[in-house]
Amino acid sequence: MTTLHPASVAVRSLSRSLNTGFLFFVVGIVASPGGNGTNLLSVVGLVAIGIVLGIVYEFAYYRRFRYELTDDTFDVTSGVLARRNRELPLGRVQNVDIRQNVLGRVLGIAAVHIETAGGGQTEVSLQYVDEAEARRLRRQLRDGASTDTADADETGTAVTESDAASADDETVLFDIRPHELAILSVFTIDPGASLLGGIALSFASGFDPVALFPANRLGGLPGPETGVIAIAWGLLLFVLAAWLISAVLTFTRYYGFRLTRVGDELYYERGLLQRYSGTIPLEKVQTLTITESIPFRWFGYAALSVETAGYAPGQSESRGSESAIPLADADRVAELARAIEPFGPVDLESPPRRARERYAVRYLLVVAAAVGVAFLLARYTGLIRQWYVLAALAVLAPIAAHLKWRNRGVRLDDRYILARTGFWRRTTKVVPYYRVQAVLHQATIFQRRRRLASVTADTASSASLLGRAATAHDVDTDRGLELQAVIEDRLQDRLRARQRQRSVGRWFRDGIDPTDEDSATESDGEE
Amino acid sequence: MERLTPRVRVVWLLLALVRAAIFGGVIVGAAFGLTRPAVWESAPAALVPAAAALAVALALLRILVAWRRYGVWRFELRDDDLYIERGVFTRVKTVVPYVRVQHVDSRRSPLERTTGLATVVVYTAGSRSSDVAIPGLTPTRAEDLQESLRQLAIETAGEDAV
Repeated sequence: MTTLHPASVAVRSLSRSLNTGFLFFVVGIVASPGGNGTNLLSVVGLVAIGIVLGIVYEFAYYRRFRYELTDDTFDVTSGVLARRNRELPLGRVQNVDIRQNVLGRVLGIAAVHIETAGGGQTEVSLQYVDEAEARRLRRQLRDGASTDTADADETGTAVTESDAASADDETVLFDIRPHELAILSVFTIDPGASLLGGIALSFASGFDPVALFPANRLGGLPGPETGVIAIAWGLLLFVLAAWLISAVLTFTRYYGFRLTRVGDELYYERGLLQRYSGTIPLEKVQTLTITESIPFRWFGYAALSVETAGYAPGQSESRGSESAIPLADADRVAELARAIEPFGPVDLESPPRRARERYAVRYLLVVAAAVGVAFLLARYTGLIRQWYVLAALAVLAPIAAHLKWRNRGVRLDDRYILARTGFWRRTTKVVPYYRVQAVLHQATIFQRRRRLASVTADTASSASLLGRAATAHDVDTDRGLELQAVIEDRLQDRLRARQRQRSVGRWFRDGIDPTDEDSATESDGEE
Repeated sequence: MERLTPRVRVVWLLLALVRAAIFGGVIVGAAFGLTRPAVWESAPAALVPAAAALAVALALLRILVAWRRYGVWRFELRDDDLYIERGVFTRVKTVVPYVRVQHVDSRRSPLERTTGLATVVVYTAGSRSSDVAIPGLTPTRAEDLQESLRQLAIETAGEDAV
C-alpha cells in the first residue's frame, strides 16, 4: 500500500484553508458577540480555528489514504470520518488524467484522476502524488487495462514488453502549430471569461457604466450624454475585456498541445501554467466528433473530439479535460480522425428537398411570430412604431433553410455511421456500429406531415446526455426505417466479428484448444 | 406485435386528470388573484372565464392524448432486439438489441397496484433517451417479460456492454 506525497498535506491544506477560513469568516461576522458591529478578535480567532481544523483534517486524510495497484485491480482506502474501500477492476478503466497546477509543478507533485464508465463523478482521484509516480501509475493502469483478464504472470511479461514498446513506439499524431493556437485564442469565446471580464470591469468603473464613458473626447456626438451611448460604450468595453481574457485563457489552456499515440492509446498534453495530460484508450473510443464552427470553417479549420464512456470533452472542468484537438487544418483533422477510426469518404446523402421546405416554413413562422409581437408592442405601447419592418426578415428564411438543409446528412459506411448537422456549429459524428446502444426512429407531428423522420444512433458516450447523439435528421420515413434496420444488422454483425476475433486471439495467447468453446467464452469477459 | 393491457387507459386517464386539475387550479387561481382590485384594477372581466376555458381545453387535450396513447403503443420481442413503438405527437420507434441490455426492472406505482398493472423498465448504457419503459402489463406478463429479457440478455452477452 502506498501513501500520497507528503507535500499534498500542505497543498490540500492551503486550498482547504481558503474554503474553511472563508466559511468561518462568514460565521464570525454573523455570530459575532456584542451585537453592535463585528468583533475583530473573535472573527480572526474563528478564521484561525477554521484553518487549523482544515490542516488537521488534511493531515488525517493524508494518514488514512492508501492506494495499491494489484495485478487486476486498483484499490483505494480512504476517508477520515466515513471510510471507503474502493476496488477498480483495471479492465474497466476508461481514462487516466494527470493534472498539475503551478504550485504542483514547483513542488513536483501531480493529481491523478481515473475514470470508469458510469457514475456521475471521477471514480478515483489521487491528490497528490509524485510526478514520476503519476507517470508510472498511468503506464501501469494502461497496461493492466489492455491485458485485462490474462493470468497474473502473463500480465508481468506484458508490462515489461509494452514498457519497452512505449519507449520507442511513441508517434506524434498532432502538435498544435503557432498559427492554429493564435486563431483558436482569437476566436474562442470562453463563457467564464465574459463573467470575469464583467466583474473586472465593474470594479474598474466603480459599478457605474457612465464612469467608463470618455465624455471629453466624444463631446461632438449627438444624443444624450449618459443615456444609450454610455451603455453601448460600456457594453463594447465589456465585450473587449471578455474577449481579451478569453483569448489569454484559451492560449494558456491549449499552449503546447500534443497528441501522441503509444501502442493502442492516445496520450495528450497541454497547458502553459496548469499542465494537463491524460490517456484515451483507443479501444474504448465511443464516438469521434469533427466540429467546424463558423469562423473557423471559413478559414479551413476544424476541431476533433474523442468521446469515451468515461467522459466527453467540454464537460465541467472538474471532471476530465478535453480529450480532443482544439483546432487544426481541416485536412489534418480528417487524417487524424481516420488514424483513430478508419472511416471512408464523407460523401453524405442529403435529406429530401421537402425537408428544406419544412425549415423554410418553420423560419417563416418564427418571423411571423416576431412581427406579431412587434405589432402588439406598437399597438399597446409606444416603444416601437414601424412594426412591419421586421417582416423584411422573411427574405432570410429561404436562405437559412437552404443552409440548414445543406449542412445535414448521413452516410452508412461499412463500419461507421456518419451523421452531420448544424450550420453555425457543424458537427460530423463518426460512430462505429458496435458502439451503438439503441436505435431510435422519431417523427414529430410536423415531420409526419411531410413523411420525414429522424434516426438516432444512441451510444454510451456521456456527451449524448446533452442530446448530441449521432442523428440523421429529416430523412424520408421509409429510408429512416431502412437506416434503423441496417444499423441494427451491422451492429450485430460487427459484434459477432469482434467476438470471433477476440476468441481467436485468446486461443492463440492462452493456448486453449479452439474446440473448447466454453472456456474460451468464459474468460471472454471484458474488452 | 403485442398491445398493452386495455386497463392501462384507466391509469393514464387518471394521471391526465390529476395533472390537468393541478395545472387548471394554478392558472384559474392566478387569474382570480390578478382580478382582485388591489392587484390589477382594470383587469378585463373575461380573464377568469378565459383561464377556466383554457384549463378545460388543456384537460380535454390531455385526456384525448392519454386515450390515443394506448392505440399507438406496441412492442415486440424480436430475434435480436426489443422493438417498441410509441408516442402520440412524436412517434418513436425504438430498437434495443438484447446485447445492450444492462438490467431490467419491474415497477409498480400505487396507482398501478390498485389497477393490477406493472411496468417493465429496460436499461442500456446509452443516454437516458434509450432507457425504455413498457407500462400497462399484467403482473404475470411483467414477470414473464422480465425473465425472458433477462434470458435473452444473458444469451447474447459476451462483450462489455459499453
